[in-house]
Amino acid sequence: MSISIERLTKRYGKFTAVEDVTIEIPAGSVFGLLGPNGAGKTTTFKCMLGLASATSGTTRYDSKPLTPQLFEELAYVPERSALYEWMRAGDHLEMQKRAFKSFSAKRADELMQLFSLDPRKRVRNMSKGMRTALSVVLAFASEPRIMILDEPTSGLDPVNQRSVLKLIIDASAQGATIVLSSHQIGQVERAADHIAVLKNGKVALSGAVDDLKAGSKIVEAIFESDAIALDGLANDTRVTRLEKTGRILRVTVRSGGDDVAGELSSRGALSVRVVDLNLEDIFLNAVDSGIQTAEVVEAVQ
Amino acid sequence: MPAVLTVDPRSGVPIYLQIIEQIKRSVALGVLAPGEQLPTVKQLALDLTVNPNTVARAYRDLERDEVIETAPGRGSFVRANGSAETSRAAASHVAAEALLHAVREAKSIGLNAAQVRALFDAALARWFPEEQ
Repeated sequence: MSISIERLTKRYGKFTAVEDVTIEIPAGSVFGLLGPNGAGKTTTFKCMLGLASATSGTTRYDSKPLTPQLFEELAYVPERSALYEWMRAGDHLEMQKRAFKSFSAKRADELMQLFSLDPRKRVRNMSKGMRTALSVVLAFASEPRIMILDEPTSGLDPVNQRSVLKLIIDASAQGATIVLSSHQIGQVERAADHIAVLKNGKVALSGAVDDLKAGSKIVEAIFESDAIALDGLANDTRVTRLEKTGRILRVTVRSGGDDVAGELSSRGALSVRVVDLNLEDIFLNAVDSGIQTAEVVEAVQ
Repeated sequence: MPAVLTVDPRSGVPIYLQIIEQIKRSVALGVLAPGEQLPTVKQLALDLTVNPNTVARAYRDLERDEVIETAPGRGSFVRANGSAETSRAAASHVAAEALLHAVREAKSIGLNAAQVRALFDAALARWFPEEQ
């Protein structure tokens, strides 16, 4: 099921949490929503689910608005656990069973064992990681077509984090559409095929992970002297960042790395190197101040 | 089969390209034999802990390049027909990539074409002494 978020804006009084966000989530994809704390990820999720009312903009599921029936096929792992403190883990499973037709008690059992959870334990006696794990169990014990997972690995140890990743990959292979936020970029890099980066409530960058990686490069050029001709580079649409340190120029590009390398050679660079960027680099570049002029970066050093 | 595949998701090289590269290399080296069955998309995605659509994209490209073929309902296999040719093509592809990389490195540290050619001749002399 595809999800289209169109021009979503959410204001709390004078504070704008999400501004004019448009995101297209292809059916069957694992979509990673990244951003620093307070960038608007959780607000976006809440608006998508109708848990917060958008100031303007829409979210459509297969071109249709969210309906109560759709909740049957939807799983949400909230950032802050929505579990009841006084209830036992097993009571939550029982509630879930009544709410979701596709709930499988057998699968719930397997998942409880996978995360070593005791159904008799009360939520109030659970650690942060156990609460996250229980929320994950509740989400994955049915077979939702849409999963919205807000930090589904927070507080989990590396073994359990890997288990959650495998559950996401398995659900995706079954055709579910999954939207995921995580501060662990390495996990998003594995699980997601598309991402969007939010910064101050706006989309700073979005696209297919493989395309972003294929396009994003740092071209590093070493010149004979520190008088490097930079004219035109700062306005080049391929360039997202310029950094000059003495005789070394580092140009971050979103595309055309080899062409930019060729141009720097013809500007007299002694040596030019094209360096691949991983998702963390791409993310940090997107949330960093974007295009910077060489002068600004030089002054910072 | 999964034992011959490792991807580095944290690398800047797209994961689907890493999968393509490694399967081509395995076919070229005969680690994957003609007719050998590949894991399903789901299985490989779980083994490598990477996105299934990424694996599916790699398989599609490998089919397009005639390295593997997929029989609906039966799975994906290393192509048996013209496998010698496929494996030669895969081998030269792997070698060409490595050479391109080496030449680009040499250029980036300031060597000129004549100097690179001299290095290449020296490498040939070392690895193909009988043909000198």
